[in-house]
Amino acid sequence: MPNLRDIKQRITSVSNTRQITRTMEMVATAKIKKAQERIESARPYALAMVEVLGNVARFVQGASHPLLEEHDERKRVVVVTVTSDRGMCGAFNSNILRLTEEIISREGAEGVEVDVIAVGKKALSYLRYRGIEPIGAYRDISDKPTFADARKIAAQIIPGYSEGTIDAAYVVFNRFKNVADQKAEVYQLLPIESRVMEAAEEDLRITPEYVFEPTAEAVLERLLPTYVETLIFRGLMESAASEQGARRTAMKAATDNAGEMITTLTRSYNRARQAAITNEIAEIVGGAAALEEA
Amino acid sequence: MARTLLCEIVTPERIVYTNEVEMVIAPTVEGEIGILPLHVPLVTVLKAGELRVRYNDSKDVEWFAISGGYLQVHEDKVIVLAENAALASQIDVDRARQAKDRLEQRMAQLKDESAAQADRDVCEVDLNWCEAQIKVAERRG
Repeated sequence: MPNLRDIKQRITSVSNTRQITRTMEMVATAKIKKAQERIESARPYALAMVEVLGNVARFVQGASHPLLEEHDERKRVVVVTVTSDRGMCGAFNSNILRLTEEIISREGAEGVEVDVIAVGKKALSYLRYRGIEPIGAYRDISDKPTFADARKIAAQIIPGYSEGTIDAAYVVFNRFKNVADQKAEVYQLLPIESRVMEAAEEDLRITPEYVFEPTAEAVLERLLPTYVETLIFRGLMESAASEQGARRTAMKAATDNAGEMITTLTRSYNRARQAAITNEIAEIVGGAAALEEA
Repeated sequence: MARTLLCEIVTPERIVYTNEVEMVIAPTVEGEIGILPLHVPLVTVLKAGELRVRYNDSKDVEWFAISGGYLQVHEDKVIVLAENAALASQIDVDRARQAKDRLEQRMAQLKDESAAQADRDVCEVDLNWCEAQIKVAERRG
């Protein structure tokens, strides 16, 4: 027979856990909103950036710049893996790490070396465990990424690409589709895909002739690295919003499960209590009957 | 009322300023440039320094510290894309000074070691930003 006190203890423990998961769910809900606002307020810069880039691209027809050129040979690629610092967010980090692993093994099969830049404690500890030493590690930024963080990451990639020691760069992050849906994605940072430039050119066919100072080439030279920084920044922010979204979903599921568990446990607690009472009555009745007979 | 142009100062994190103004004076890599309404379409590279706007019949002026960035003029609309920008009266000078000291130390360290050029570049950009903030705050705060 299940012990009454044991069941009681489990109920208490489960409802304590539920209290925690419910709180985490609410905190995540509040944080999603803030993270979304941050993405929104970054939009004007990104849009204006693309506009300027388009104007320049249109002017410098067939622009050539080290960051636009594809390297003939692929020897070394860099992957920026964006995870969170904290857990309790479902498959958020494992999706990213699995995708990173896929890239490593795919490129590895072709004899390409892969360097990883880890963002978030989860990526760091996973890679160390796997025996991969990341070439860059960024902790405590996943909650509230700043543009300066993105710039530091970009500074680890861009010079290498221009000099030819790096042949491609990708960022792996969770894209924030909506509050309930995040998707792990790979985005190519370098070389800057020519379609980015072409699309920007399309949009701006009607705009007038611009004057560039010092020259269009000089503007382009400065603009392209900033464009890469903007892409990384966007990845970091989307990941921050996705993290909260994933955590909210995971914690909601945990809260619901805890509720179900409490219902089941309460039912067996009541059954056990009922059984104990029935047993006692039977004993009393039995005892009384024995006395009467005597 | 004089003809105006729309000035927007945007950083990756937010829109810092947007207003109808009469003149924008910005620090480009080739020297200061003043932009009035009906300016020819222009794209230019900015360096860290002071940006000011005049409005209300040139009676009011507002000063900003900006780190490097870009400026685009198109049909009486000026977009300033800066990595960092702050209104002169809102600059935290003490913080900027502390940051400057710290960055100078780091810069000295980086010079000693055979550190990556990239690290030095990042450090220098930050340093220029701090200096721009201090300069603008001291002059206009």
